Amino acid sequence: MSELLWQALQQVQGYVYPNEIEVNWSILIVFYPYITGLVAGAFIVASLERVFKVEAVKPTYRLALLTALAFLLAAPLPLVAHLGHPERALEIMFTPHLSSAMAGFGFVYAWYLLIVLLLEIGYDYRKDVVKWARTKRGLKGFLYRLLTMGDYDISKEALKKDEKLVGIITVIGLPSAAFLHGYVGFIFGSVKANPWWSSPLMPIIFLFSAMVSGIALVLLIYMASTKLRGKKLDMKCTDTLAGYLLYTYVLDLSLEFMEIAHLVYVQEEGIDAILTLINDRLFLSFIVIQIFLGTIVPIFLLVMAKTGLFRATIRKIFYIFAALLAMIGVLAMRWNVVIGGQMLSKSFRGFSTYILPIFGIEGLLTAVAIFILPFVLLFIFVKVLPPWEEPPIWESTEHQAVEGNGEG
Amino acid sequence: MRKIHVRVAMVYIVIAIIFLIVRSFIVPPSFGEYGWYRGDSVSEIMNLSVKHAGSYSCSNCHQTEYKAWTTGKHSTVNCESCHGPLKYHVDDPGGSKVEVNATREFCGLCHNENPSRPEGFPQINLESHGNGFTCVTCHNPHYPWFD
Repeated sequence: MSELLWQALQQVQGYVYPNEIEVNWSILIVFYPYITGLVAGAFIVASLERVFKVEAVKPTYRLALLTALAFLLAAPLPLVAHLGHPERALEIMFTPHLSSAMAGFGFVYAWYLLIVLLLEIGYDYRKDVVKWARTKRGLKGFLYRLLTMGDYDISKEALKKDEKLVGIITVIGLPSAAFLHGYVGFIFGSVKANPWWSSPLMPIIFLFSAMVSGIALVLLIYMASTKLRGKKLDMKCTDTLAGYLLYTYVLDLSLEFMEIAHLVYVQEEGIDAILTLINDRLFLSFIVIQIFLGTIVPIFLLVMAKTGLFRATIRKIFYIFAALLAMIGVLAMRWNVVIGGQMLSKSFRGFSTYILPIFGIEGLLTAVAIFILPFVLLFIFVKVLPPWEEPPIWESTEHQAVEGNGEG
Repeated sequence: MRKIHVRVAMVYIVIAIIFLIVRSFIVPPSFGEYGWYRGDSVSEIMNLSVKHAGSYSCSNCHQTEYKAWTTGKHSTVNCESCHGPLKYHVDDPGGSKVEVNATREFCGLCHNENPSRPEGFPQINLESHGNGFTCVTCHNPHYPWFD
């Protein structure tokens, strides 16, 4: 008997089936929907500017796209690390079956990465990449020349067509992002035997919480990167993003409330066990962290910021805390769904306990390392494809040249 | 059509071709012959040698133990659960020897204290029970007794 199973066995409460003693979907499976959600949320921020023409958030458009790409590349890693035979991971895509929800996720993921994100970033950056390819030397220059794919046409017509194409991709990308993350909720919502998971609302709740965490992440990265670059924060952009965070949050909270209200109202088999799960086993992670610290407090902070009573410096602090708490709250939501659902025995008469190891492939450190990876990727992407609003060097040179000619 | 579109399309076509080539190497040729699995596995499994003979085959020679076993508390535990697969022994009773694991730990697999077992199920603490003697010193595994 493994040490972990023995420890879990000592903490079994009531009656559980033997295969429920150990919680097999570990912290890695908590991070899988969390990271995927951040991708969907970040992409939705990008689409605010493109599709919904929210000009105020333009400074975050490219940053949000690169964030989505960095997190998307890391999204399958928790799943692959969780597999006993990670080398077989691709087999679900080689021989996909309609009964396999995970195989479906593989194709949704591939579609989103290859058709939506890479194409949108590629066409959006094309003008800059061509210019960088012409001016940069060495390895970076080679990379830019590779990215141009040999097409250096940046005439007005070509750029206009690129712009139109990016618009079309974003319109396709928006439902794709919703599908990508809704699908993760669908995987849990389809487990009929588990009343804590089985709900048609699950994909919608996952999607809205993904939007919350994604907007919060982009907001934090935007504020941190502006500070690190020593630039002035665009308060209109920050306020608008925070506003969207608030609206999404309110919707997310009402959906969560509807889900719980529905569970309690219909009083289906297992409701007593669910109430014990919420009030006892998940009290800290659900009531305290997810609902109070992760939802009510940030909503309160965002509403306070919206009142107009506070000046920009104070609002910035509110936003930082609200965004951080939102990210913690959504992580807690994933934890409560994934771990909570496995603690609840199918007998509805007992609970098992999840023991979180620090080391090992299923341990806390692996999960943290996987979560840090997208930030490292984002740092590299930002270095290669700077997403900042200020005009690149050649544009300012052109600008100066035009000004110089005017004076002459 | 613009050069960039053609090149991007070519990259994607190359990715798709690589995917199909890798797939052709990884997916076994007999996959899907009968269902969503490798068809050859059926004939491979059918050709595996039989290892278990079943409890009834023991009754031909070991009548005393068999009779005790069928009326005792262990009657739901197959002979081969403790003695291991016995087809080789049934085929050649004189030329083969049956080994049995008589260690305390082996009995402990079922009878060591475990909170997830039903309360009425005989469970002991391997550390303190029986002064370290093997279980069969006191208990007859074919017709076990206990308090």
